[in-house]
Amino acid sequence: MVKYTPGRYTATTVLPSASRHLVSRFSYGVTPALVAEVDAAGGARAWWEQQIATAYDDPDAIAAEADWWPNQHYDALTIWQRQQAGTEGSWDVMSDYSRRLVARRIISPRQVLEVMTEFFEAHFHVPTSADNPPFWRVPYGDVIRAGALGRFEDLLQATITHPAMLLYLDGATSTKAHPNENLGRELLELHTLGVGNYTEDDVKNAARILTGFRVDMWRTWAASYQTKDHWTGPVTVVGFSDPNASADGRAVTRGLLTYLAHHPATAQRLARKLAIKFVRDDPPQSLIDRLAQVYLDNDTAIVPVLRALIDSAEFKASIGMKTRDPGEDVVATYRALGVQLQAPTADSSAANATIWQADSLGLRPMAWPTPDGQPIDNTAWATPSRVLASMEMHWAMSGTWWPNQDLAYLSPTQWLPQRSLPFRDLVDHLSRTIHGRASTASTLKICSTAVSVLPVEVITPAHGLVKWGFPRLLAALLDHPNHYER
Amino acid sequence: MTIAPDLPATDARIGTDCGCPEMRGLSRRGVLQGAGLAGLTYAVGSTVVSMSPAAAAGTASSMGTNTIVVLSLRGAADGLSLVVPHADPAYYASRPTIAIPKASLLAADSAFGLHPNLAPLLPLWNAGKLAAVHATGLAVANRSHFSAMEELEDADPGSKLRVGWLNRLLGTDDQTSPLQGLAVGDITTQFYGPQPVMSFSSLEEAEIAGDDKWDPTHQRVRSLHKAWDASKSPMAAAFRSTMAAVDGLAPAKAQADTSAAFPDTDLGRALASVSRTVRGKVGVGVVTVDQGDWDMHTDLGTLTRGRMIDNVTDLAGSIAAFFADLGPLADSVTLVTISEFGRRVVENSNAGLDHGWGNVMFLAGAGVKGGTYYGTWPGLKNSLDADLTVTTDYRSVLAEIVRTRTSASLATVFPGFTPTPIGAMRSS
Repeated sequence: MVKYTPGRYTATTVLPSASRHLVSRFSYGVTPALVAEVDAAGGARAWWEQQIATAYDDPDAIAAEADWWPNQHYDALTIWQRQQAGTEGSWDVMSDYSRRLVARRIISPRQVLEVMTEFFEAHFHVPTSADNPPFWRVPYGDVIRAGALGRFEDLLQATITHPAMLLYLDGATSTKAHPNENLGRELLELHTLGVGNYTEDDVKNAARILTGFRVDMWRTWAASYQTKDHWTGPVTVVGFSDPNASADGRAVTRGLLTYLAHHPATAQRLARKLAIKFVRDDPPQSLIDRLAQVYLDNDTAIVPVLRALIDSAEFKASIGMKTRDPGEDVVATYRALGVQLQAPTADSSAANATIWQADSLGLRPMAWPTPDGQPIDNTAWATPSRVLASMEMHWAMSGTWWPNQDLAYLSPTQWLPQRSLPFRDLVDHLSRTIHGRASTASTLKICSTAVSVLPVEVITPAHGLVKWGFPRLLAALLDHPNHYER
Repeated sequence: MTIAPDLPATDARIGTDCGCPEMRGLSRRGVLQGAGLAGLTYAVGSTVVSMSPAAAAGTASSMGTNTIVVLSLRGAADGLSLVVPHADPAYYASRPTIAIPKASLLAADSAFGLHPNLAPLLPLWNAGKLAAVHATGLAVANRSHFSAMEELEDADPGSKLRVGWLNRLLGTDDQTSPLQGLAVGDITTQFYGPQPVMSFSSLEEAEIAGDDKWDPTHQRVRSLHKAWDASKSPMAAAFRSTMAAVDGLAPAKAQADTSAAFPDTDLGRALASVSRTVRGKVGVGVVTVDQGDWDMHTDLGTLTRGRMIDNVTDLAGSIAAFFADLGPLADSVTLVTISEFGRRVVENSNAGLDHGWGNVMFLAGAGVKGGTYYGTWPGLKNSLDADLTVTTDYRSVLAEIVRTRTSASLATVFPGFTPTPIGAMRSS
């Protein structure tokens, strides 16, 4: 019988399990460079605080991140004129928006900021796949990135009446004659209170309050406030009342959003979503209650809630309980394989191909088709169709077969930490690099089976494993449960 | 390379050029999606198909050899546009822009008529294989898309368990084959629950990457089993279902690809793959198909412009092509449409409709007593709040299908519910 005693390649350092857990949940994958960064910061908790404290220190660096698509700088009118001229469709601008998001998640040193940006882009979801929002969608994302570590109320004020949101949920065309209920309903159901905490009259009144915000569709795409379109008269939404006598409804809108941001039901809803995203699919109510209280006590500031979350016993006990969604899987695979992304030069360039990879797994970044945003629970993504697609993506990248343009994979020889070592030590090095943890007997057996190599066999550049078998070894590690966790 | 004593030898060419087929597949898809621009970019998640087989060899199934297809019209379709109550004066009074003139309706009787773009379905209607049940839905209005969908698909209001009615239907027999659950896309809440279901995004892609001719001893699959068979990962059940089910799909893959005969839409492609799988006789018992984009707060439009006409054309063309493509097997397949709720009676100022309540359900295919409008018409009101009142619980429609097409216990599939007979299905 073969003995599967795991190797120990300690020169490749890893984080202690609790630290890896924190860094993994708040990044798109633990890499050797990230391990070094965490060590330099004095540990995972200190790294997390440093990420928060320095997230916005260098706005120029944020703006320059993966700035490879010129159309991301066009204003709404320019995008429209180019579409009219047949130069480029607004949908192409949106494809590039998703691409840039993926690229940022792969390369950004501000991982916590990117993770929270994704969370709030999904919470205030404006799909890149919707018809009208593309003209305003890029600056909408910038607004969310700029506020993702701030106060929830500020995010709410900045998003609900943003032209992208107005265009998506029909606020831009709503009039006082018959206010369109779409935005008013989702504001209460999805963005703040949650279903069961309001009545149909509240929906109608929210819709009335939100009338007046317009976008000059199909002409200049300019956003404006039109007093002639604002519904006036007394309004009540849950506990918020206002005579709403002025034709300018912006103040009452602000008042409503302030009220909703501070409502205990909103605190509960946001706390629950954060706990599902970062702790587990079935977070205990006691944790949600604590997080909601922190939110209310801190004037809707997000970071104190996150701090309470990561310091909770529930978070610490949740190792292995969250899976990567399709977008996270794609990004984590680039990071795990140490792939260097380069500026794209063609449609098939890796930085452009990432959205097709994510599509095949079931979710292009920010293209979820409905206003509830992509699911954040495991169940939605733990499906055979996802498994098949993930395996295919991992396989194609393990072999460096696709994408194969404008990126740098490590060659099998480059994967070897030294020119000669036993297979089990190589597996340990790879496990530390790709999974961020030391190998186990089980991992060794899985790898050994995949490539028919004995644990003690000596691997050199001349070995068949390095010459032709490496894709199967990398695929075994990428299709390991560890790589599906975050 | 030395070979471990308990490991079969692998082909020496392992990994040399074995990526080419995968690479071609990926590249082709990449090119198609890149070239598809708006059409395919906008298709993300809009159509989703799930299937589960009726019976594995040797096990009794409550489905027999029948198949039920549940087609969900996501976003809440306007039933009053699909099946128009032309005799109700409030319909025309409340919809000055978007009402459909009586003269253009198809298959009109004294009360109702079909949207003219449903024309591709007229042969099925005239042959008595398509029926409509009006004023159906949840017993109590729920105007949240997401909450209504889950309530509808759980169909068990007394329970907090997240188990869908189709999962309970699958649980009524001894069939526990891992192939029990075959999805072309994501698995929706109708299928949530303890019975495993398979899913894939297209039939061709339902294979384990790397399990190829350069791996004759299946080291890739052996390795995956070592990784997942005892795993407690949230992904483990999906991996185990996948590995156990992939091989069973071979007969379906062997069927001719007839998708060219379907509309070139997400729904057309989805139903083409369903038909192909049914033709492969891998034992498909329950199929769900999700089709999106019925949420028309603006620009529902008229018979010459707007969003409704395209959707209706796609719906009718896809269903008609589906039954045509099934050939003789159409006699074993029953399709039902469902939407999370209906829309309001009164149009808003954007030629659209806000969230309402009652809706229409279509029944097509095996066992349907078609060519007739069923249900109890409640009458419409022309006021801001007016809904189409639900007079038939949607579960009564589904229960009639389950009762006539399966041997499953209704008490298990729809706990605590007493269906009202509609008469739209023939007892088999």
